[in-house]
Amino acid sequence: MTALRMLLRDWRGGELGVLLAALVVAVAIVSGITAFTTRLQSSLEQESHRFLAADRVVMGSREQPPEWLAEAERLQLRTGRVLTFPSMVYAGDEDMVLASIKAASSEYPLRGELTMSVDAFGTPELRTQGPPPGQVWLDSRMFALLNVNVGDDIYVGDAALQVAAALRNEPDRATGFLGYGPRVLMHIDDIPATNVVQPGSRVRYRILLAGEEAVLEDYVQWLEPQLPAGQEIIDVGRNQRGVGGALERAESFLLLAGSLGVVLAGVAIALAARRFSERHYDYVAIMKSLGTVSGKINRMYGLSLLLLGAVATLIGAALGWGLQALFFTLFAEALPVQPGPAGMRPYIVGGATAVVCLLAFAWPPLSRLGGASPLKVLRRDLPNAVSRSAIDNGLGLGAVLLLMLWYSGDWALTLAVLAGLAASASLAASVAFLLLRGGRLAGMRAGSIWRLALASLQRNGSANTLQVVIFSLAIMLLLILVLVRTSLLEEWQMQLPEGTPNHFLLNIAPDEVNAVRDTLSQTADLAEPLYPMIRGRIVEVNGEALGRSDDEEVGRRERETNLTWARDIPTDNEIIAGEWWDPNTEAALVSVEEGMAESLELEVGDKVRYMIGSQPLDVTVGSIRRLDWESMRPNFFMIFPPAVLRGYPATFMTSFHLDKTEKQFLNQFIRQYPTVTVIEMDVVIEQVRGIINQVSAAIELVLVVILSAGALVLIAGVQSTVDTRLYEGAILRALGARRGLILGGVVIEFAALGFFAGLLATVAAEIAVYVLQTFALDMSYSPHPEIWLLGPVMAVLMIGALGVWNCRRVVSSPPLLVLREL
Amino acid sequence: MIRTENLRKRVPLAEGELEILKGIDIEIKAQESVAIIGASGSGKSTLLGLLAGLDVASEGDVWIDGASLAALDEDQRALLRAEKIGFVFQSFQLLPSLTALENVMLPLELHGVTNAKTAAGNFLERVGLAERTDHYPNQLSGGEQQRVAIARAFAAEPAILFADEPTGNLDTATGAHVIDLLFEINREQGTTLVLVTHEQRLADRCDRRLRLHGGALVGEESGHVARDGHSGTPHLRGV
Repeated sequence: MTALRMLLRDWRGGELGVLLAALVVAVAIVSGITAFTTRLQSSLEQESHRFLAADRVVMGSREQPPEWLAEAERLQLRTGRVLTFPSMVYAGDEDMVLASIKAASSEYPLRGELTMSVDAFGTPELRTQGPPPGQVWLDSRMFALLNVNVGDDIYVGDAALQVAAALRNEPDRATGFLGYGPRVLMHIDDIPATNVVQPGSRVRYRILLAGEEAVLEDYVQWLEPQLPAGQEIIDVGRNQRGVGGALERAESFLLLAGSLGVVLAGVAIALAARRFSERHYDYVAIMKSLGTVSGKINRMYGLSLLLLGAVATLIGAALGWGLQALFFTLFAEALPVQPGPAGMRPYIVGGATAVVCLLAFAWPPLSRLGGASPLKVLRRDLPNAVSRSAIDNGLGLGAVLLLMLWYSGDWALTLAVLAGLAASASLAASVAFLLLRGGRLAGMRAGSIWRLALASLQRNGSANTLQVVIFSLAIMLLLILVLVRTSLLEEWQMQLPEGTPNHFLLNIAPDEVNAVRDTLSQTADLAEPLYPMIRGRIVEVNGEALGRSDDEEVGRRERETNLTWARDIPTDNEIIAGEWWDPNTEAALVSVEEGMAESLELEVGDKVRYMIGSQPLDVTVGSIRRLDWESMRPNFFMIFPPAVLRGYPATFMTSFHLDKTEKQFLNQFIRQYPTVTVIEMDVVIEQVRGIINQVSAAIELVLVVILSAGALVLIAGVQSTVDTRLYEGAILRALGARRGLILGGVVIEFAALGFFAGLLATVAAEIAVYVLQTFALDMSYSPHPEIWLLGPVMAVLMIGALGVWNCRRVVSSPPLLVLREL
Repeated sequence: MIRTENLRKRVPLAEGELEILKGIDIEIKAQESVAIIGASGSGKSTLLGLLAGLDVASEGDVWIDGASLAALDEDQRALLRAEKIGFVFQSFQLLPSLTALENVMLPLELHGVTNAKTAAGNFLERVGLAERTDHYPNQLSGGEQQRVAIARAFAAEPAILFADEPTGNLDTATGAHVIDLLFEINREQGTTLVLVTHEQRLADRCDRRLRLHGGALVGEESGHVARDGHSGTPHLRGV
C-alpha cells in the first residue's frame, strides 16, 4: 500500500511522466510491431497458399498411390487432385492448338479463386470451382486460335467437351513463361474418355491438401520418409510474384525500427529513472532519518516500479493493439486476404520488454537509493551516489542486446546496430568534449550572453558531453530510420512506376516483328524493344561436360533456356565483371546473369559450349550482369552479340503497358496474330502495388511511433540537467540579470548542444545507413546531402525549443520560488 | 538517555586528516533539554549527526538508552531512530511532492500506525495549521513549513528530539513563535530535546548549554535564562 501511495504521490508531483511514457512507448512499439508483422506474415502466408491453390501440394510425374489420399482424408485434411499435361486441342477439322491442359477435381482450388469471364476478355468474375464434367474453360486467346465461341465443342483426345467460359486466371498459374501454353481447364472425371493420358505421357500429378497447420505437418512427417524419387512435397515460401524482396526488406525495416525504438525507449527510461532517483535522494534521506531501513526502501521502490511496469504494460499493450488495429482497419481493402489473428504473443513480448527495461534501465539507479546516507538531512551538499556505474552500463547493454535479439531473431542486424551504437557513442563522446572546449574558446571573444552560455556548457563538461552523446544517438537513430524508409519507398516506387509493362508477348515470328510493333504502338505503351528468343542449353564449361542433376538450380541450366542477342546492354542491367561489347562486334561472346554465373561457377574468359537444336555454339564469357528480376521487364540469363546468334531460328518477345480501359484491344490483337502468346500480368501488378502501398503505410505509421520514442529521449535528456540550469538561472536573476540574458543563455546553451549533437548524428547516420543498406538490407546506397543541413538545423530547433520550454520557469517565476523548489 | 565517551570524528582531506570532533564526553538525562552552541565550523552539526545515529564516529561511542550505536549497523540504527528519535531541521526537509498532512503522516505510515491520517491531522491542528493540511510545502511560508516539520517530528512521539538550527531560516518573530511551539509540545510529551543553534535566545530556554569550539567541548552552562531575566540563574563552569 505504501508503494502504491508513494507512486500516486510521485505521479501527482510530475516525477513519473517521462518514465511512464517511455515504458508505455517501449511496450506499444514492441507489441504493436510484433502484432503487426505477425498478422502481416499470416496474411502473406495465406496469400502465398493461394498461389498453390492449397496449403501443401504433393507433386510427381507418376500418379500417387491411393493410400496417400486415404491417409490425408483420415486426418480430415481437405484434398483435391489435379493433372497437367500438354496436348493438342481440336475444333472442327482444321483448327488445332498445342495447349496446356489442367484437369481438376471438383474441390479445386482449395485456396484462392478461379477468375473466369463469360466470353473471351470479358468482365472477370470469381469462382470457387472449375467447370463440371463435360465442360471446359479456355484461355481467352484460344477462342480466336480455335475459332470457337461459348457453347461450341472442342476435342481433347477422344473426348468432346463443351466450351462454357473463358478462363482468365488460376491461383496456381506458374509465373515462369515456360509454363504458359494457352490453358484449357477441364474436369478430372473426363480424363479417361480422352485416352490421352498413357504411361509415358508428360503428365504432372498433384494432390492438393489444405487444413490446420499442425495436421498438415503430421501428414508431411508421415509421407516424407516414404516419398520416392520423382515425387515432392511443395510448401510455398513467400518469395512469389516479385514482392518477395520488397517484403523481406520491409520486414527487416520494421524489425530494425522496432529494435531502435526499444533502444531509444530504454535510453529514455534510464535517463528518467536516474533523474527520478536523484530527486528522490533527499526523500530517502528523510525517510531514513525517520527510521526506515534500507530493505524497506528497496522494497517500496521495487514495488513502485512493478506497479509502474504493470500500468505501462496495460496502456502500452492497448496502444500497440490500437495501432495495428487502426492500420488493418484503414488498409483492409488493400489487403489481398483478411489478416489472421496475432494471438497473445505480441502482448507477452511487450510485457516482458517492460520488465527487462525496468530491471536493466530503471532499477540500477533506484536500487542505490536504499544506500542513501541519512546524514544528507543535515548536510545537503553530500554527493548523490546515483551516477551510472560500469555494471549498470553493462547491464543496459546486455538488456539491449537481449531485447533486440529476442525481438528481431537476427544476430547480424543486432550486432550491426550495437556496433554502430557503440562506435558512434564513443566517437560522439570524444568529439563532443573537444567541440565544447572549442566553443568555450570562441565564446571568450563573444558578447556576454555567449560567454555565459558557453562557460556554463564547459563547466558542466561531463554532463554536457553525456547529453550530446544521448542527443546525437537519438537523432542518429531517427535519421537512419527516415533515410532507410525514404530509400525503401523510392526503390519500390521505381520498381513498379506508373506505366510498368503489364503484358508480355511471346512467340512473335520474325516476319511479324514490324507489324506487331506498329499495332502495339497505336494503343499500348511499348517501352521495350522486341527481343529475339532462341532456345539453347549449356552442355560444356571449359571443355568439361555438365552432368545431370536433381538439383533444381542445376536443372535449370540443363534445361533449355532462352538466349537472346542485343547490341546494347538492356535497361537496368549492370555489368559487374568484364565489359559490354562493341555494338558491331563479330566476336563469339556471351554475357551471363550474375546468379547463373555463380551456379555454373563461370568467370569472365571461361569457354562455354551451347547446343542450339543439334548445333554446337562455342563462346567466351565476355561479361557478367546484375539485373532486377522483379522489374517486370523481359530479362535474360544469356545475352549474345547479334552476329553470333543471327543465323539461328528465333522468335521474338516483348512487354508493354496496356491501360485497364483498353483490354478489348487484346481480342482484336489475338485475332490478328493468332500464334502470338499474350501473358496478362496486370492483375498481378495491381496486387503487388496494393501490397507495397500497404506496407509503405505501415512503415510510415511505425516511423511516427519511433519518432515519439526519440522525442522522449530528447525530453528526458533535456530534463536531466534542467535542475542545475534552473538553479543557476535563478541565482543570476537574483543578482539582477535581465530575463533576456538568462533566456538567451539558455537558448544558446541548448542550441549549441543541439548543433553539436545534430552534426555528430548526421555523420554517424550517413555512415550507418551506408553499412545497413549495403550489408544488411541489400539495397544500393547514395549519399544524402540534404540531411547535412537538415540534421543540425532540426537538432538546434528541437533541442533549443525543448530546453527553453523546460527552463521557462526560471524567467516566468520569481527567482526565490524557483530556488525554494529546488 | 544519551551518553558519549571520547567521541571523535575525522574526515580525510587531500592534505591529510581533519579532526572535526576531538573527544567529546557528555551525558544527557531523560526529559532534559540541551543546546549545543558554538561558532560556524565548531562541529555542532557533526556532533548532532553522531548523537542521532545519522553518522558513524571515527572513535569513541554513543549510547542511547544504554544501546551502543557503534555496535549497530545502518539498518539497526534506522530502527532505533524510528523507535526513539525525531528531527527538526534548519531547512525543514519537507517532501515537496507531499501535502502538509502527508508529510506529517509519513513517519506514522512508516511505523505502520493505523489511524495515521487522524493523528497527523491532530498534530497539524496542534501547531495551528488545521486550515493548511492540503497545501504543498512551496505554498507555505517558512514558519508554516517549520511548524509542519515540528508536527511531523512529534507525531511519532519520539523519546528524543534533535533539532538542527530550527530557527536558522526564519525571521525573529516567526522564529520565536516556532520556538514557543517546540518547547510547549516538548513539555507536553516529556521529550528529551537536543538542539544545535547559534541563537543565544533559543539556547537560553534549554536546561543546559554545551559550548563547542574547534571540535572540543569548551564550556557548559546550566539553568534557564528567562527572556525577562528573572527565572533561574545561569551557572557557568569550565570543563
